[in-house]
Amino acid sequence: MGQQEPPGGYTGAETTGFVSPAGDSLEGPIDLEVALDLRRPNRYLVRVSGDALREHGILSEDILVTDAAIPPRVGAVAIVMLHGDVVVARLALKDGTWWLQSGRRGRHSVAVPEDAEIWGVATALVRDRM
Amino acid sequence: MPSTYGLIDGNSFYCSAERAFAPVLRGAAVVVLSNNDGCAIARTAEAKALGIKMGDPWHLIRERRELRDVRWFSSNYPLYGDMSRRVYQVLAERLPRVEPYSIDEMFLDLDVPGDLRRLCQELREVVRRIAKIPTCVGWGPTKTIAKLANGIAKDHPELDGLCDLTDPLVRAGWYERLGIGGVWGIGRRTEEKLAQLGIRSIADFLALDPRMARDLLTVVGGRVQEELRGVSCLPLQLMAAPRKGLAVTRSFGRPVLTWRDMREAVAAYAARAAEKLRAEGMEACHMQVFLHTNPHDGSTWYSAQRSARIEPTSDTLALIGEAMRLLPPLWRDGFAYAKAGIMLTDLVPARQQARMFQTRDPVRSAKTMAALDAVNERFGRGTLRPLATGITRSWGTRQQKLSQRYTTRIEEIMRATAL
Repeated sequence: MGQQEPPGGYTGAETTGFVSPAGDSLEGPIDLEVALDLRRPNRYLVRVSGDALREHGILSEDILVTDAAIPPRVGAVAIVMLHGDVVVARLALKDGTWWLQSGRRGRHSVAVPEDAEIWGVATALVRDRM
Repeated sequence: MPSTYGLIDGNSFYCSAERAFAPVLRGAAVVVLSNNDGCAIARTAEAKALGIKMGDPWHLIRERRELRDVRWFSSNYPLYGDMSRRVYQVLAERLPRVEPYSIDEMFLDLDVPGDLRRLCQELREVVRRIAKIPTCVGWGPTKTIAKLANGIAKDHPELDGLCDLTDPLVRAGWYERLGIGGVWGIGRRTEEKLAQLGIRSIADFLALDPRMARDLLTVVGGRVQEELRGVSCLPLQLMAAPRKGLAVTRSFGRPVLTWRDMREAVAAYAARAAEKLRAEGMEACHMQVFLHTNPHDGSTWYSAQRSARIEPTSDTLALIGEAMRLLPPLWRDGFAYAKAGIMLTDLVPARQQARMFQTRDPVRSAKTMAALDAVNERFGRGTLRPLATGITRSWGTRQQKLSQRYTTRIEEIMRATAL
């Protein structure tokens, strides 16, 4: 589907009296799908449950723009399929093995086992309520 | 024409799409059911191992004790369609040309430099990582050989999902062992016809005199023979052929007994058909409406259809109007209707200029329909719809076990627990 027609069909150009000086320069509203590159096959949206990553600025109900093509790296916030659960945590590397660092103080890190999958890496965050 | 064709195919595609977002399903027996949760249409290897067959009716098998751990799903086409789009995009970015043959199979132009085995393995890995779908790839000098190779890769896990039939000697070995029935383009009937002549393996079929093959199986048979010999007759099709017709037909979620439900259902199908027409920029000049009872459940069989030429249109209200003119004479009280449908043919490109003898205002119709489509695009199909298409829709599709639309609805995206 093409651009949505604004109410009344007026976009800033279709003036009735004076010709709009903006007529040749209209760009339309900002498209977040383009800005966040959501049409790429590697982009997925994932919603966060829980506030354990609050110290990293990630709150419960935030939406992570997740990229499945980016290789895991130290410090990245990753979505991981772990023992039948979907979890989100920061990645650390110890002795050639990936670890999930708990955001909560005093909680231990968890090694990412062989059968787990680092599903994607968060590249942006959308908070659809404040 | 490419010198090498590939076919990549998603393993239990629908089940794999479900698994992509639900790790609890990994390693579990998963089955996806057809429309109306009728029968099994996709099974993981674990489900196949439990003896679940393609087409097994769900209501007969769901109570079996040994199947109590099977995870059943209604078909979630918004999800499968989007995952198919991702698979296609991943491939199209890496290869000269890709033909989306079906929702879970793509033909590949593999006319590229370098080691093909390595390339195909990389394609499998990148599709698995990005589009989350495990696949098999087969390749060879023609599409028919590529499809055969893909089937071999699927049936022989020891091949690690890859099968190369480029070498005529390798092909000859498989041709001796494989039945002709497994070849693309050879249907059940043809297979039986050939079996009567003692032709069972692909090698038997290739030994057949080409002229006899053509006499026996028409030009299609001759083409299959050529393709199996390694002579390419079927080029890649990059775009679907323009539609000649468009159908919206559904089995009801439960039998329709009242005229009111039937009218609603057919109006809803007309509305959906109109949406599809507009999405393709077409108008229809001919409409057929049909309905029938269930031919399999022993109830009284009744079937009727009626068609008419219509003024070219893609307007929802106009098409509902035409359908409502065709439908009443088909209706008989006292039957339990199982299915109805609408078929539109004689499609022509839409135009907004007035035609001669036109009774509707095309500009006004186009504006109304654009507004309707915009609302439904934004807020979901069926948000805005004519009252004639019903509110409760008791006849609607039965989908008791739908998973989330993880990639197309913001309210249904996957959740991850912060650790």
